[in-house]
Amino acid sequence: MQFQPVYDDGELFLPKIELNMTGNQSIGIITDLKRKQLLLNQLPDRSQYYIFRAGQNEYMRLTVEELITFLIKVTERNERADLLMDYFALKEERKVQIKDLSSSRRMYVTLLRVFFAHQPALVLEEPYFYLEEQDRRHLKRILDDLSKEKQILILTSNLEDALISCDAIYRLNESGFLQLDIRDSEEDKQEVQEQDRANITLQKIYTKRNDKVILFNPPEIDFIESVDGSILVHVDGENYDCALTLTELEQRLLNFGFFRCHRSYLVNLQKVREIITWTKNSYSLRLNTGKDAVVPLSRSKLHELKALLNL
Amino acid sequence: MSISMKRAQAIFVKDYKEFSRNYGISIILIFPIILAVLFRSAGASLPGAFGLVLNGSFVTLTCLAQACLIAEEKERNTLRSLMMTPATTMDVLIGKSALVFVMSATVLAISTYLFGYELANIWAFVAVMFLSIILYIAAGTICGLFSKTLLEASLSIMPVAIVFTGAPGGALLVKDYPIFKVLDYMPSSQLVHLLNIRHIGYTTGDLLKPLLVILAWTVVLTIVAVGLYQRRLKDE
Repeated sequence: MQFQPVYDDGELFLPKIELNMTGNQSIGIITDLKRKQLLLNQLPDRSQYYIFRAGQNEYMRLTVEELITFLIKVTERNERADLLMDYFALKEERKVQIKDLSSSRRMYVTLLRVFFAHQPALVLEEPYFYLEEQDRRHLKRILDDLSKEKQILILTSNLEDALISCDAIYRLNESGFLQLDIRDSEEDKQEVQEQDRANITLQKIYTKRNDKVILFNPPEIDFIESVDGSILVHVDGENYDCALTLTELEQRLLNFGFFRCHRSYLVNLQKVREIITWTKNSYSLRLNTGKDAVVPLSRSKLHELKALLNL
Repeated sequence: MSISMKRAQAIFVKDYKEFSRNYGISIILIFPIILAVLFRSAGASLPGAFGLVLNGSFVTLTCLAQACLIAEEKERNTLRSLMMTPATTMDVLIGKSALVFVMSATVLAISTYLFGYELANIWAFVAVMFLSIILYIAAGTICGLFSKTLLEASLSIMPVAIVFTGAPGGALLVKDYPIFKVLDYMPSSQLVHLLNIRHIGYTTGDLLKPLLVILAWTVVLTIVAVGLYQRRLKDE
């Protein structure tokens, strides 16, 4: 999948992007509304890409069963409606008209159109945004099954949504197109150094932003992430560059209740609100900050975290 | 372009269910019947009454229903989604048009019966109804393509109503405004001519001329509608 660069007012707005889409992998791109539209507009080929846009609506007066039957017939598939309804977990709503479903459920049913796509690549804009927890799980299951045969690209503005079902996540913003490191690697061994306990009470985190030096008290920090080799300190929805490595920061901040929840994430445990379990092997932490923030949690770190919290 | 009856049929069934449950729109099915009953008593004194009933019905039923079916799909972005399925342009158009055709034919047959119109030549009448329904479906398709929502669709048939239904009336003013002579070649005027042919003393030529004019209109409008549909969907 290739995207051509787009310039806005002489400045590079969208860099040239080449995605190596192999089967059995779904890719997420976290970006803003305007860039999402620019990306979608570059995929006009209807035989290659099935595009699900956020504004998609449904035939409101059909019942769920009639809709599924229609989609089977119009795409000339040889499946049976009642078996598919079981697979989609829609058995109970069989006879309900789409307009009478709850809004999350209605969106879920609308999203099922991607299941019937014959194109080799599926592109979804904000698929999880309007869904409740339960419908998210169903959709994740269906997308995981689909990704065995097709390439899936999810465009979203929310890291949490991308974390649900993407194997590789990129962030596209004014600083370019960067891959986020969300891989779960247990074999990653960090050297543990003796730490200088005398300095702990004086710790300030030294960051830079627009050539200004800003010092943060550790309790102010929500979490720290490593993106493409540089360290970003997140404070109240904003991020600041830091020159230290994540391992150094981990040692400095250990006594302030910070926890290395992932190879490239260090989180302030005081701000953690919720541990989200997506599947047996994938977890995230939701933070209790002004803006809704979610950081990934490695499977290997879960036990450590539970021990730390006396769970 | 491949046409699959299975897909067209799926679209027909889907549209039938949607249309029949949308009471705000499906109420237009009774308009031709009401018109027929209203003008029935005036039948004897007003020679063109049945032509008026039919021309009015074509716009308010055939044209409006087709425009609404297309505009509603556009409003909900389901048409774009449909374009990404194997269903081709012709599948979609045939499925929708077939539904409108069946509805129009049934309702107009009922209203013809209620009006008590005496047919001069049944085959000519069937042929002209057949062509006219297709013609107004094509006009409705064009209206639907130019509107983005249901509301716009119901307004967009106004020009059709004025130009087509109004043409026989306008043709009466031909003495004052010679330019209105062209209105005589509108399909609606030709339909009125055909309906005015009495039982006795007509020639095949009398029947054939209106039929040929309407056929020409039907062919041209259908080609325009299909062409426009394909062009419009490219930039959707």
